[in-house]
Amino acid sequence: MKPFDPRLLQVAPTVRRPVILLGAVAAGQGAAAIGLAFALARLVTDVVAHEDWVRSAGWVVVAFLVRAGLGMLVERVGASTATEVSAALRRGLLERWLAAPVEGRPDAEKASTLAVQGASAVEPYAARFLPALVAGVVVPVLAVSALLVVDPLSAVVVIATLPLLPLFAALIGRTTEDDTMRRWRALEQLAGHFGDVMRGLPTLVAFGRARRQVEVVRAVSEQDRLATMRTLRLAFLSSAALELLATISVAIVAVCVGLRLTHGSMTLHAGLLAILLAPEAYWPIRKVGAEFHAAADGATAISRLLEHSVDGAHSGGTPSGSGVPAVVVEGLGYAYPGSQARVIDDLSLTAGLGLTVVTGESGSGKSTLLDLVAGLRLPCSGTVEAGRVHYVTQRPFLPDGTITEALRMGNAPELTAQELWSALRQVGLDELVARLPDGLDTSLGDDGFGLSAGQRLRLGLARAVLSDAPVLLLDEPTAHLDREGSALVTGLLRNLAAERCIVAATHASELVATAEQHVHLGRTLAEVTA
Amino acid sequence: MTTIGPALARRDGAVAGVWGGLALTSGVALTATSGWLIVRAAERPVILTLLTAIVGVRAFGMARPFFRHLERLRSHDSALADLASARTEVYAALVPLTPARLGRRSRSAVLTGVVDDLTDVVEAHVRVRVPVLSAAVAAFFAIVLTGALEPRAGLVVAVEMVLVALTARVGLVREREAQPLLGAARAEVGRAAELVARHTLEVQAIGAAADVLGRLDRAHADLADALRRQSRGRALVTGGVLALTGAATIVMAAVATGSDLSAGVTALLVVVPAALADAVLPLADSVRAQARAEQSRLRVDALLDQAPAIADAGTAQPPSRAPHLVLEDVTAGWSADHVDVGPVDLDLPPGRRVGIVGANGSGKSTLLAVLARALDPLAGTYRVGGRDATELDTEAVRDLVAVVDDEPHLFASDVRANLLLARPDAQDEDLRGGLRVAGLGSWFDGLPDGLDTRLGAGGRGVSGGERARLALARAVLSRRPVVLLDEPVAHLDHATATQVMSDVWNATSGRSVVVVSHRQEGLDMVDTILDLTPTRKD
Repeated sequence: MKPFDPRLLQVAPTVRRPVILLGAVAAGQGAAAIGLAFALARLVTDVVAHEDWVRSAGWVVVAFLVRAGLGMLVERVGASTATEVSAALRRGLLERWLAAPVEGRPDAEKASTLAVQGASAVEPYAARFLPALVAGVVVPVLAVSALLVVDPLSAVVVIATLPLLPLFAALIGRTTEDDTMRRWRALEQLAGHFGDVMRGLPTLVAFGRARRQVEVVRAVSEQDRLATMRTLRLAFLSSAALELLATISVAIVAVCVGLRLTHGSMTLHAGLLAILLAPEAYWPIRKVGAEFHAAADGATAISRLLEHSVDGAHSGGTPSGSGVPAVVVEGLGYAYPGSQARVIDDLSLTAGLGLTVVTGESGSGKSTLLDLVAGLRLPCSGTVEAGRVHYVTQRPFLPDGTITEALRMGNAPELTAQELWSALRQVGLDELVARLPDGLDTSLGDDGFGLSAGQRLRLGLARAVLSDAPVLLLDEPTAHLDREGSALVTGLLRNLAAERCIVAATHASELVATAEQHVHLGRTLAEVTA
Repeated sequence: MTTIGPALARRDGAVAGVWGGLALTSGVALTATSGWLIVRAAERPVILTLLTAIVGVRAFGMARPFFRHLERLRSHDSALADLASARTEVYAALVPLTPARLGRRSRSAVLTGVVDDLTDVVEAHVRVRVPVLSAAVAAFFAIVLTGALEPRAGLVVAVEMVLVALTARVGLVREREAQPLLGAARAEVGRAAELVARHTLEVQAIGAAADVLGRLDRAHADLADALRRQSRGRALVTGGVLALTGAATIVMAAVATGSDLSAGVTALLVVVPAALADAVLPLADSVRAQARAEQSRLRVDALLDQAPAIADAGTAQPPSRAPHLVLEDVTAGWSADHVDVGPVDLDLPPGRRVGIVGANGSGKSTLLAVLARALDPLAGTYRVGGRDATELDTEAVRDLVAVVDDEPHLFASDVRANLLLARPDAQDEDLRGGLRVAGLGSWFDGLPDGLDTRLGAGGRGVSGGERARLALARAVLSRRPVVLLDEPVAHLDHATATQVMSDVWNATSGRSVVVVSHRQEGLDMVDTILDLTPTRKD
């Protein structure tokens, strides 16, 4: 893994400022630690020499207070950087997907995992690993520089031993890498088992298998423990080895200092300073190693998120969208991603003001055609030109908010309550909504849960009525409605067709009967009957 | 009521705390003796007089990583052992509460939450108990040893440590206050992001990108706010410890200069507070882990602290394998004090197909839960083959009923194992037959490894329609005479829903079927429809 991926700053430029600020604060914290070593060494020297130590005591207090202040600042800046980075990545990803055609997005399952957990995994990376990384680079350099001034011999010892730390870590890592990877994979499986069995608990209970799983859970958790401990034992051993290495290195410095002190070739102050500064060169590096696993997860998540944010193969799928109520399709061909067979082949269609219906059997590509006209899929061949589109899909999107919010989505925010009621009346929902205890402010469940498919569709149609888009695309606008409802919607579409270009995919004969134009999609060829 | 974590592990935690304490003490001793050694060396004594201290420094230097290693092994091992037993206990405790007590929707999200919460609770062993014990041990040694050299110095360290403990306590209160806010903010970010990720096309279709991104931005702003609030707790502990260390250093210098101590001992005492800071700074992490664990524990306990929805009543066996199910004046509710449905009558002779429809909240799923013996009726009688269901063995009644719900789970295993759970003694032949009847014939033929193909997390992805059909195949294989379908096509598009429902009727021919749906697809095939929409009383 890369400890820091510079693409992060390119893809999410808004995180530049917080990341730099966090780096600066972490570096300042390191500098304060060095300053503290100076002040402490001075204080001890003065106290031991029975000199006036008030001044050096003042410096110690200042150094501790600065460290305390910066320490508090790191917590705060770390927390806000963490959210800013994860929020910027998450938003960037979703924004890109919202502008991309179907072909430019992962499937829903993968997309939601990436956007929710993937982006959250970045938080510990930003809050903990980044400051540790900055400190790991800055503090050793500062410590060694200070040592060079104070006591060059100690500096030489530190410079000679310091590279051993990463080298040693890399060696341990190299020899155990394959083994570690294999174990991590096994671990993931074992750890995943419990989650899997838990999520499946209702299914297991339904088939009377749940109690038998209790012993399996116990056994697998036990295996998980043993496997995890095998992995951890190795990790802990290497970390102990690194600590020992650092301790030995500091001991070498101390021995050199001690010998020169007894010999009289060094002052007490310089000696104290050398042994206070030497450890400062080692611990930040070990800290980076200690945060490595949190970091590795975060860095993996970042590179995965960046992959989806960076590849710019497709630009936005939505057509420019003029105010013209017309759709012109020429020589359109389309095959689903990963498939050779064309579901739509060489289709041409011109629709203006009025109602155009598209019919065809299930699977003949009616919905796909509407997706293409709306610019939500990339055609394999041919062109699509359309005015600004409002598209009522089979399951219109409803947020888990109020009916007002659902109707305002994608529409002008200044819609008045009268306009909303009028739209509801036109789709025959006004009485139902009026009977609800909170009327327009009634909350819909998550993803419109609780509405019947027919009610959901009518809400979608009401939203289309409110939209000012010149082109309306409707997928099965009467699918879930009874005779009365279909008649109402057919009448509504006739009215709307006076001012807009409407293209509707449908099975309903009454809708076909009133249409200006009828397109029938066959299995392989599309025939147009005017 | 179940509590998490056995007493046994507490002793292991104590042992790990002692090892950790010895590691920290070694660290403090290392710094202190080094200070003494340097000052003493500057007085240019005969080197031999320094030997004891040199040996001490070396010993402490080696002891620190050694003890820390022991502490880590011990604390992680005992935490993992705790995790294993907590998982087993909680799983077993959840069985009688499933499904009726897991909430009405998104049960899988509730259960995933339990998995994460348990990890948080157990992690507190490593991240709270061990560091706190270690710090206490190190503080104890520091107080005793400095006290032995100069009693007032011991007092200084003692007072400093008490103040550190108080600071940590205040930090904990701060972190606790932020936890509920943080949980709510995280959940909202998840919801906002998931809604967009799962419905990208539908959002694009209505040009609502700005609306959904606006909601996401608001959620992010709330989360940032909650995290800033939370960071105050940790910041307080970090800043407080460092400030106290500074103060203690000065007081110690005053004490040391005021006493008649050798130069070496004076130096030793002055550096002790700074050395102790390393031992107590990890308390900032502990405070956060503790607040989170408390919150997680509350959630798990609230879930487990419920009475099962079925009173363990009878032991009698149902009179027939093809029972006549009857609900007479049944009312039922998900909690004992709230009626969600009823009174309702339902007659389900063998082979009858009933559709249950009705507005949201009219109690469709509640009624199904009663039929499945997941929920006791609050009033009225549920008769199975003429006998009151509460007199019969619950497991035996459940054995008559196969449930297909709207979020059937596919286990991370192969197709075979996913089907065998419905009937463990089925042969491969039967499994293939079940898949075909459920309309998965051509899907199965396209699988690379047949019944050995892996499904679920990490395996082959399945579409919503395939998932619903796999659940149907399980119901078919179980040979249970009654099939209950709860919104089987809720998440499918119209065309797929129509096909799935047609497969449902093919696959369940000859059995009693009750299907709950808020959609029309397939309801034309039922014998009767029960509409639960309440008639208005106003």
